[in-house]
Amino acid sequence: MIIDQLIWIPILTGLVVLILGEKRTNLSYLLSLLISSAIFFLSVYMYLLFDNTLASYQFELKVPWIDRFNINYHLGIDGISLPLIMLTTFLSPIVIYTAKTSLKNKMHQYIASFLILEGMMIGVFSSLDAFLFYVFWEAMLIPMFLIIGIWGGKNRIYATVKFFLYTFLGSVFMLVAIIYLYMKTGSYMISDFYEVSLSLNQQILIFLGFLFAFAVKIPMWPVHTWLPDAHVEAPTGGSVILAAILLKMGGYGFLRFSLPITPDASLFMAPIMITLSLIAIIYIGLVALAQTDMKKLIAYSSISHMGFVTLGSFVFFIQSGSMDLNTINLAISGAMIQMISHGLISAALFLSIGVMYDRLHTRNIEEYGGIVTKMPKFSVLMVFFALSNAALPGTSGFVGELTVILATFKVNIYIALLSALTLIIGAAYTLWMIKRVIFGAVTNEKINSQPDMKLIEAIPLSLIAFLILLIGVWPKPLTDTMNETILSLSYLVGG
Amino acid sequence: MNNELTLITPELIIASAICLLILVNSFLTTEKRYTGLIIGSITMATCALISLIFLIETTNSSIFNNHYKIDHFSTGLKFTTYLIALFIFIGTKTNKENTKSELVLLEIFAILGVSILASSNNLLTLYLGLETLTLSMYGLVASKRSSEIATESAMKFFILGAIASAIFLYGVSFVYGLHGTLFFEELNNATINNTIEMQLALAFIICGIAFKLGAVPFHSWVPDTYQGASTSSALFISTIPKLGAFALIYRLLYEAFIANAEFWSLLILLLGLLSLILGNVIAIAQDNLRRILGYSAVGHIGFILIGLSIGSIDGAIAALAYLVIYILMTAAAFMSIEVISTEKRAVVTLADIKDLNSTHPWISLIMLFSMFSMVGIPPFIGFYAKWIILSELINSDMLSIALIGIIVSVIAAFYYLRIVWYMYFEKNELPIMKGSPNIFQKTSISLVGLSILLLGIYPSPIINFCRSIFSPFLLID
Repeated sequence: MIIDQLIWIPILTGLVVLILGEKRTNLSYLLSLLISSAIFFLSVYMYLLFDNTLASYQFELKVPWIDRFNINYHLGIDGISLPLIMLTTFLSPIVIYTAKTSLKNKMHQYIASFLILEGMMIGVFSSLDAFLFYVFWEAMLIPMFLIIGIWGGKNRIYATVKFFLYTFLGSVFMLVAIIYLYMKTGSYMISDFYEVSLSLNQQILIFLGFLFAFAVKIPMWPVHTWLPDAHVEAPTGGSVILAAILLKMGGYGFLRFSLPITPDASLFMAPIMITLSLIAIIYIGLVALAQTDMKKLIAYSSISHMGFVTLGSFVFFIQSGSMDLNTINLAISGAMIQMISHGLISAALFLSIGVMYDRLHTRNIEEYGGIVTKMPKFSVLMVFFALSNAALPGTSGFVGELTVILATFKVNIYIALLSALTLIIGAAYTLWMIKRVIFGAVTNEKINSQPDMKLIEAIPLSLIAFLILLIGVWPKPLTDTMNETILSLSYLVGG
Repeated sequence: MNNELTLITPELIIASAICLLILVNSFLTTEKRYTGLIIGSITMATCALISLIFLIETTNSSIFNNHYKIDHFSTGLKFTTYLIALFIFIGTKTNKENTKSELVLLEIFAILGVSILASSNNLLTLYLGLETLTLSMYGLVASKRSSEIATESAMKFFILGAIASAIFLYGVSFVYGLHGTLFFEELNNATINNTIEMQLALAFIICGIAFKLGAVPFHSWVPDTYQGASTSSALFISTIPKLGAFALIYRLLYEAFIANAEFWSLLILLLGLLSLILGNVIAIAQDNLRRILGYSAVGHIGFILIGLSIGSIDGAIAALAYLVIYILMTAAAFMSIEVISTEKRAVVTLADIKDLNSTHPWISLIMLFSMFSMVGIPPFIGFYAKWIILSELINSDMLSIALIGIIVSVIAAFYYLRIVWYMYFEKNELPIMKGSPNIFQKTSISLVGLSILLLGIYPSPIINFCRSIFSPFLLID
């Protein structure tokens, strides 16, 4: 029941905001801020009720939906989905909160889009019925399409149409795979899919169907090209949600669908997946180094970091001899931590860029320099986020990447060495950007007249900084939540 | 005899309404511009109610010496037709063109044609219904008398339509020559049906059907009439006649010539694939909003034909569900165009709907529902239409066709998105005066628009209804 409320309260609030209209924007703003914060506390309450010792689904709700095809409105959460839902409910109020400082026109529609999007994202993470999952997964495209298209930058229409078509093309193949699985099992329940026996060829076809959808979303090289465009043109809030949560859906999909449903195909495809992950980590990292636009740089850095998620999800398949459950466990935990950590860090970086953009209306690195002399408080936070992006020990970025690299070391030392290159490349592109933007001499006249960060801008950034630090020094609450689920997933994959 | 007349009450009511309208028209003054629409709406409401009663009672009977059949399929289809027509009448705007109620008159004539088509049990009855429907459609397209484009498209439509009817009749004459009968039950004869003559006859008949549906390569009239006709006529032409064409296909292929399914399913599949691909690809290049919708109609017909080509009842159920859903979406789109058009300036091109979100947020939201629904994005109802067809295709081992279908759907997404981006993303320097709907139109368009969303969230009613039309027993379980 509680998940039901998490999904529908934001969506209904979004509709109310639309009905209230443009004239009552202030009222809508306060209302949505209140409701989305309440939703966050509701999810915290759910976290407290969550039983860490169970691997099964909790808070399950199952109501017949389309009888004819045995489709149920089936919700529930486990250790994989709970952290991602928390991430969603945590970032949504922040995004709505920042709408006021960065937006001029049609704010009520903007807020409504985000509220509806929030409900749908929670729906994606909590659907236990593949059909329901697909409905939420696709429906999410509509608010995102509008957010980039209406409130985006100069080239927004190109970016948003590209985003839409890319992701739509990917997901329709997933739909075919899901329908095929339904024909095999007579049910749309995801857990029924786990038990169906398929030949290797069938598995590979199904794996590819899911891969199209998840690879575009995550995104993996070479289907990543929509992401930099979408990020650059999207408004700050859109970039935050896109990087922090939408990308995670690809990783979530691998763990929820690809690995348990088609373990043999995953084994078969693992070398390709690992190669693509390494290309993302190294090559895209180098591409990030060459960027002149801050948002584009962070976008490429996101692709590079998400390479660790795919690496962690597939690297244990190429172990020599029988698969070691501990390694599987470690690798998948690493992928999960990396997802949460990247969600926080990328959100924070995009918000920080938003703070600078609101002042100078440019994202071009060359037009910055010496920010620290005029905005010292802001610079402290920005440098902290940059360091966590470069995986500084003590931040969440370090925990995620280290765990994946450790698991990789157990499997193959060469792959581990290659992936560890990110520690150098990541530090290079992030710190070089910081050097040019934050430090150095003031080259742009406008910077001299800028006030430092105001309190209202500092609040969301400080909250995120706190969480990054918390996971960095004490990841136990997070790992404890996931452990049992990941263990049972490891059994499904390796056992 | 008395009983037979009871069974055709809806048709009798429509016929009386036609007489009444002709009479009223002679005395009508311009101030009473709503009269026709009111009569039309009341007629449709009554007929829908009566068909619903028939549907619940599962009336089943052949009347007029077995020429006319009242069964579950016909009643269900009629009910759908009347209900949709009711919404269309309420949502139609009265302006100079339809003051004299000619529009409503022609539309009611066409609905009578659809009713006869749905109930026909004999090729002659079928042809009677078909011509009643098409002749009224010619009139509807031409009803915008002052416009050159309308006249041109009506002329084209008429000539092509006459040729198609002739080809259809030619095929029918073959059938009569081979079978010596025109009754559907007696046509279902496997030994004759597999001869080459019969296949030739069937090919002619299918050409006629393809024209009525607007399938490639007989599609050229669709975008022309959508563009040329007045918005009110286009709203009607794009919806109700498609149901008639579906009845035509079902009665002929699934009842009369089912023994020949192997042959015709191939032809239908070919027509379907051609329509799907060409319709959607050509639509990308259009700038005219109505032509886009016209080519999109061709594309959707392609999907419906592919569903029918499966040749099983499940395929037909899926196709009918797709059709009903498609009609809802098109009705919403054309109603939106209708209410924002003014007498002086009709909404024709994409530029006319620029920045609609700022002036008409509600209408553009409904248009957005309709467009995303046509793309096939959940939670809108259009998604279920595509999904049902895909499910049936995969179930019948036609995976490659399913893959073509989804790839074309993605290509088609582009031009629907384009409509959305003109409404939401483009900025308009010079706001164009647009019409505002009255309370009835607002209600009608809101109901249709919301049904796209609400039936999408809970699609069971529409799926079960389409299933129950084909077999009353299914309604129970």
